[in-house]
Amino acid sequence: MQAAARNPQATAAAVIGAFVVALIIAEGLHDVAQTGLTGLSSGAIYALGAVGLTLVYGILKLVNFAHGDFLTFGAYMAFIVNITWGAPLVLAILFAIAATALLGVALEKVMWGPMRARGAGMLQLLLMAIGLALVIRYVIQFFFGTELRQLDVNNVATAEFLGLSIGRTFLVVILVGFVVLIATGLMLRYTLLGKRMRALSDNLELAETSGIDTSRVILYTWVFAAGSAGLAGVFAGAVTQLQPELGFEFLLPIFAAVVLGGIGNAFGALASGIILGVVIEWSTFFIDPGFKLGVGFLVLIVVLIVRPQGIFGQARTV
Amino acid sequence: MTELVPALPVAVDLEAFTSLGFWTGVGILAGIYTIFALGLQVNVGFTGIFNFGQAGFMAIGAYSMAILVTDADLSFWLALPIAILITMLFALLIGLPALRLRTDYLAIATIAAAEALRLFALNARDLTGGAQGLFGFDDSWDGVSDSILNGLESLGWSNPETLFPLFLVVWGVAILLMFALTFLQKSPWGRVLRAVREDEDAARALGKNAFAYKLQSLAIAAALGAIAGFFLALNLRFIIPDEFLPIFTFLGYAVLILGGLASYFGVAAGAIVFWTLFEGLRFLELPFDEVQIRALQFIVLGLVLILLMAFRPQGMFGNRQEMVLGD
Amino acid sequence: MTDAPSQPVAADERRPARESNGRPIFAAEGVVKRFGGIRAVDGATMSVREGSITALIGPNGAGKTTFFNVITGFYRPDGGRATFQSKPVLWRPPYAIARLGMVRTFQITKALSRMTVLDNMMLAAPDQPGERLANVVFRPASSRRREREVREQAIELLEIFNLTPLADDYAGTLSGGQRKLLELSRALMARPQLLLLDEPMAGINPTLGRRLLDHMQRLRADEGVTFLFIEHDMEVVMNHADRVVVMAEGRVIADGEPHEVRKDQAVIDAYLGGTA
Repeated sequence: MQAAARNPQATAAAVIGAFVVALIIAEGLHDVAQTGLTGLSSGAIYALGAVGLTLVYGILKLVNFAHGDFLTFGAYMAFIVNITWGAPLVLAILFAIAATALLGVALEKVMWGPMRARGAGMLQLLLMAIGLALVIRYVIQFFFGTELRQLDVNNVATAEFLGLSIGRTFLVVILVGFVVLIATGLMLRYTLLGKRMRALSDNLELAETSGIDTSRVILYTWVFAAGSAGLAGVFAGAVTQLQPELGFEFLLPIFAAVVLGGIGNAFGALASGIILGVVIEWSTFFIDPGFKLGVGFLVLIVVLIVRPQGIFGQARTV
Repeated sequence: MTELVPALPVAVDLEAFTSLGFWTGVGILAGIYTIFALGLQVNVGFTGIFNFGQAGFMAIGAYSMAILVTDADLSFWLALPIAILITMLFALLIGLPALRLRTDYLAIATIAAAEALRLFALNARDLTGGAQGLFGFDDSWDGVSDSILNGLESLGWSNPETLFPLFLVVWGVAILLMFALTFLQKSPWGRVLRAVREDEDAARALGKNAFAYKLQSLAIAAALGAIAGFFLALNLRFIIPDEFLPIFTFLGYAVLILGGLASYFGVAAGAIVFWTLFEGLRFLELPFDEVQIRALQFIVLGLVLILLMAFRPQGMFGNRQEMVLGD
Repeated sequence: MTDAPSQPVAADERRPARESNGRPIFAAEGVVKRFGGIRAVDGATMSVREGSITALIGPNGAGKTTFFNVITGFYRPDGGRATFQSKPVLWRPPYAIARLGMVRTFQITKALSRMTVLDNMMLAAPDQPGERLANVVFRPASSRRREREVREQAIELLEIFNLTPLADDYAGTLSGGQRKLLELSRALMARPQLLLLDEPMAGINPTLGRRLLDHMQRLRADEGVTFLFIEHDMEVVMNHADRVVVMAEGRVIADGEPHEVRKDQAVIDAYLGGTA
């Protein structure tokens, strides 16, 4: 037990590995791979959402409840361009990313920045985040109603390779998603901005004292976090359907990914998002697909109980 | 989201504001949420615990009561205290792991727990009726309600408002609870609770088992949530999972903050003001359809939360010196 | 280091503690506390004699506060043993240790800001039945009775420390020095047998400091309270402590009377040679 606690990443890898092996034996490689593939698409969405959320945590010092509604916002912005204006999906995606990034920056200027300057406490920020989530969600509902909407995507066509078939939309989400995630990873790892963003999310005060122009980095972090959330939202809307609750439904698995990866740890969030997406999809082998959301919960609750600092986080006082 | 106030005339002009039916309806909702938010006050205002799962406790209370009455054929009056005990048990179950977490994690954990319960209610069709829910548990209450109506008639009120008995009972209980909680708060037990809110380690260094007090606080909030759940069930005459979405906990917080932290009687003021505003929105002459009005209601809720936190965190009657904000 | 010299009391002039019989009221053996790879406390062994005023000194980073935290239950130990009045204390939760009679104060005062000074004091009193929910409901008279006693005791103590005029003020409005006094008097309300003070003199002016030391002496003489305090001011330590325990790099390197310890080569090396 001690050894397991001392190297959580290895333990997690071992557990997942054992789980995969057992699954393959039980259900056969093809089915496992097939389901896993579907899981990769939700995993890409979770990862995109989680990496932004975890970076913003360093700025806000709390988990931003309104992040899920950035996803919804992005999805609906894409809808406006793609369906209402009839433009091609690619433009819609770019517009969605830009619009959501703009929203993130605007909120930082108008709300988060001033509240931080005033020394607002956690309860204040928490309730403001909740209030913000509600405002975004219900403004969307006000203008778009509750009917399910669809982006102009081909949800019927499938692609085949290696004996596996996958919906074309799902495939696009996986491909584009992973390209963006890899680019994100590279950016965070190797660029100066990326390193500063990570430093900030790890310890804002320390970063401030080390001479980094934190206000700029904060803005860029919001651009990145909101933008990636917007993209995640478009993907989420593409593989499911658009409705005002879209973001909130994805929020809890995204939370789970953030916590699992160690809060403030961007790479942890990335990895955990993908793992969670696949694992949740695999869980449909033994539970009713209706409970899929419940698995996200379960993971969240178990992680909070057993190891609140996540698999990749250090043992902090949580 | 279903109609929270059954059978009210959907008048579209200000005449509705003079209708006793409207005010009784608002009054009942305000009363329910006063009790609901009293639980939050114990947790947030006096113990420093950010319990975001209060809607879940409401659900356990309401569902336990309904299941005991309709399935187990228990007397309504017996089902009530048992349902409260069941809810408090869940509070202990959730609290044991969750109360060790820091503030925002506790918030996430309690929301997750409440949502897990709601999803269970949605899917465990045999036990909870699934999406259709449960009904038929309020026969005993109907009897009481009729007696009260007869009593009102004998006092001279020729055609009493049908919901008035519920209004009376809800507020009677709410007022009783406010006095009880204030009494508890002034006791040495309440003093330890406040110390735990201030600084757990200081309390521990003085021999107080801070964790035990936090559990007790959560259990009390759960009991209050359960009672609010009973009245919600009686008001609607049925229970469905949608009535216990997280947004209702957020609503409770809006009531709590509006009334002011660290004040039990302030909660009532917050509830009354909030529900007048909230329900009033539905009766204003607005050129929007129902879905949009509902959206508007929740936009207002969100704005209330944001604006209060930004500009008047002490709400109307908050004890400014005792508030848990800005730390 | 304070400028104003406190009156040095010659060893033979100091009043013998009422119950000072040389028996240890507290003993620690090989206490270890690790943080990641660092051994903050690396096998500390020491004892505190009943009725003594014992100082715990050492260069910065020696592990003194960490040691305090471990023996009072705020940190989980990684090894070792400790007993208080012959009862094992190392793995107990902090509230249990406090209830046994080992009460501590904190380096950065923990005045309960949003409670009044009087509330702070009354909180600390032990054996208040009204602190249990069941008693509040079913036996209100017993709690009322105890409240009256507790209130009287609290006011007496506030009187001694000249804090009476502040009784109804919120503790958050007190000055730094007043907060230190409040923390000390509050700890005393808990009827400790061993009082652990973490840098009680830090940040208060010399006059106040002297008053505090006088109180400590009086409490030791009249009530038999034992003191273990972390201190950096050598003047205070040399002139007011019966015994001195020296820690460096997580270990106890000396344990004896002040004038002995001062001449100990290991101690001199630790202070001069060691890094902060």
